[in-house]
Amino acid sequence: MDKKSNRYKAMLFTFISLYLIVIIFPFIWVFLTSFKPTQEIFGEGAFRLISENPTIENYANVLQNGILQSMWNSFVVAGITSIYVVMVATLAAYAITRFKFRGKNLLLGIILAVSMFPQMIIVGPIYNLFMNLNLTNSYFVVLPYSTITLPVAVFILVTHFNKIPIALEEAATIDGATSMQILSKIVFRLAAPGIFTTAIIVFITAWNEFLLTVTLNTNKAYHTVPVAISFLRTQFTILWGDVTAATVIVTIPTLIIVLLFQKQIVSGLTSGAVKE
Amino acid sequence: MKRMGFKESLFILPAIIIIAIFSLWPILKVINYSVFDYQLNDQQKSKLSLDEKFNVDLFNENADYVIMFIDMNRFSFPEDTQGKVDEVINNVYEFKEILSGKSGFIELSGDLKGQVRTNYNKLIEDVDFFINNFDFPDRENLKLVMEDTKKCFVQSNFIGLAGYGTALKDKRMHDALWHTVVFTIISVALELILGLGLAIIMNKAMKGQGVVRAVSLIPWAIPTTVAALMWSYLYDGSNGIVANILQKLHIISDSRNLLLSGGGAMASAILADVWKTTPYMALLILAGFQTIPGAVYESAKVDGSGVFNTFFKITLPLLKPSILVALLMRTLDAFRVFDLIYVLTGGGPGGSTETMSIYAYKTMFQQTNFGYGSVIVLLMVVCVAIIATFYIKILGANAMERD
Repeated sequence: MDKKSNRYKAMLFTFISLYLIVIIFPFIWVFLTSFKPTQEIFGEGAFRLISENPTIENYANVLQNGILQSMWNSFVVAGITSIYVVMVATLAAYAITRFKFRGKNLLLGIILAVSMFPQMIIVGPIYNLFMNLNLTNSYFVVLPYSTITLPVAVFILVTHFNKIPIALEEAATIDGATSMQILSKIVFRLAAPGIFTTAIIVFITAWNEFLLTVTLNTNKAYHTVPVAISFLRTQFTILWGDVTAATVIVTIPTLIIVLLFQKQIVSGLTSGAVKE
Repeated sequence: MKRMGFKESLFILPAIIIIAIFSLWPILKVINYSVFDYQLNDQQKSKLSLDEKFNVDLFNENADYVIMFIDMNRFSFPEDTQGKVDEVINNVYEFKEILSGKSGFIELSGDLKGQVRTNYNKLIEDVDFFINNFDFPDRENLKLVMEDTKKCFVQSNFIGLAGYGTALKDKRMHDALWHTVVFTIISVALELILGLGLAIIMNKAMKGQGVVRAVSLIPWAIPTTVAALMWSYLYDGSNGIVANILQKLHIISDSRNLLLSGGGAMASAILADVWKTTPYMALLILAGFQTIPGAVYESAKVDGSGVFNTFFKITLPLLKPSILVALLMRTLDAFRVFDLIYVLTGGGPGGSTETMSIYAYKTMFQQTNFGYGSVIVLLMVVCVAIIATFYIKILGANAMERD
């Protein structure tokens, strides 16, 4: 029995390790390549694990190319998007879970539909709108980001608000609390973890957005990370050294967020998707 | 639950306004675009116009030349047509009179429409009479001027459902739909099978769940374009490690062909997508596992149910709702795939990985044909609606209710 369970454990361990290796391998390989000088990336030395003459030249190149500016842009747009989308979604989700009103199902239906239809649909009209209002090449791109983030945010928050027992609010009303006090002292405080989870999911989604920025912000000064990265590919010759160094740099913020907030991210991802 | 008063309705107002402006208005606009031959870089088609338009500037520019060429060549025409020559010249002056004070593109409606039409037809008819019947020194020049003049009338670019008709017969559209379907079905099927397997293993493994979870989140969390670029390096024909390994394993005959052959490029895109989203799928299914109470398994054990029996009769049915929701989300995501293919293959080689999103994007922003691009996007919406209805039918109405 003991032997069998040991073998079983070993098998599990092997599977999990294999899985982890497959997931991590591309990152490791890219990381190793980023320190290779150009002549080692091409030709004979291309498949050598460790560089013979490690260099940070690739990083210097990429930093000169304004990768930090694009990271700052990403940070700004993702930050602004998180703040306003979470505020709007919190209010909406609270009203949806606490009040009866006409057209509630219609509203939920529309939000669900918006989360399903292809993002490509809004790009044409939004492009024309931004051209007419002279808003291209600016941080105003965060406004149409609401299409991809607001529905998700509302759904996560509705799930969280539903978990907060309404009895607490009723008790507070009996004790004479005004509705504003109930909101600020009870509901938002109890919902804080849920709101935070939502903010992180929205932040990551906005950080990764590509289509709207690539069409609306053609000026390099307003490129976000995904767009800046995509332009490394469309050059005539692809400098893999630069590409890998840029990949390593832009992955760091994502890595930090994932490591710090993995529990919240998983709860955010599943609260919309898993029927409880 | 309380009824909503005025004050409470302010809570949902911001959300409604934002959705209306940035989600619903664009959709209506796209429907509007799709019934016009709307092309940004074509001066005659760059506006949505239901009515005919007349280009006054272009007319005035050419009218003087018409007068000049007819007048200068009047002695090349026979005696009995001299009256007609004066008539043409007077007609042009009259025409210019009608249009005086106007410039640019004017919309033709009411009286003006009739006047312009009559004068215009008469002008064309008379000048063509001279061009066709007589030989004169400036004949070729006059021909050119008339060609230009005929462009003054801008037809309405309203085409109704013709764009949809074109799309149904468009070979490139069929190919794009086929590529999208192939990409979606294969990648989602692989992700489901691998994700389910992984979720079972993760659920069993007691130690190290935190590490496994963190690692699983990374591919999902990095921008798709970054993942695509990373994989395009790994797939690179001469320097890519994955292409090299595949060649050594004799899965492909020549590593240089991986991204240069249609099948290879599609397989590469699918593999990259599977790498990026299988962990996410596994996490979603794992969360479903964790909602199944342990007591269910215990009673199954007491009743003498075997491992396989338990899995197929208990675990899977209880997992079904979470699997279906995850599948729906993944299917829609895969169907809308854009970033990954845009960066990895750009739709190539030779359009063999061009999905509907890519085709729509290229039509709108490379050919600046917003009309036809909108048609493609709306056909995507139809497909998305079919997919969603299909899943919701299986899911049953209850499972979709989130509150």
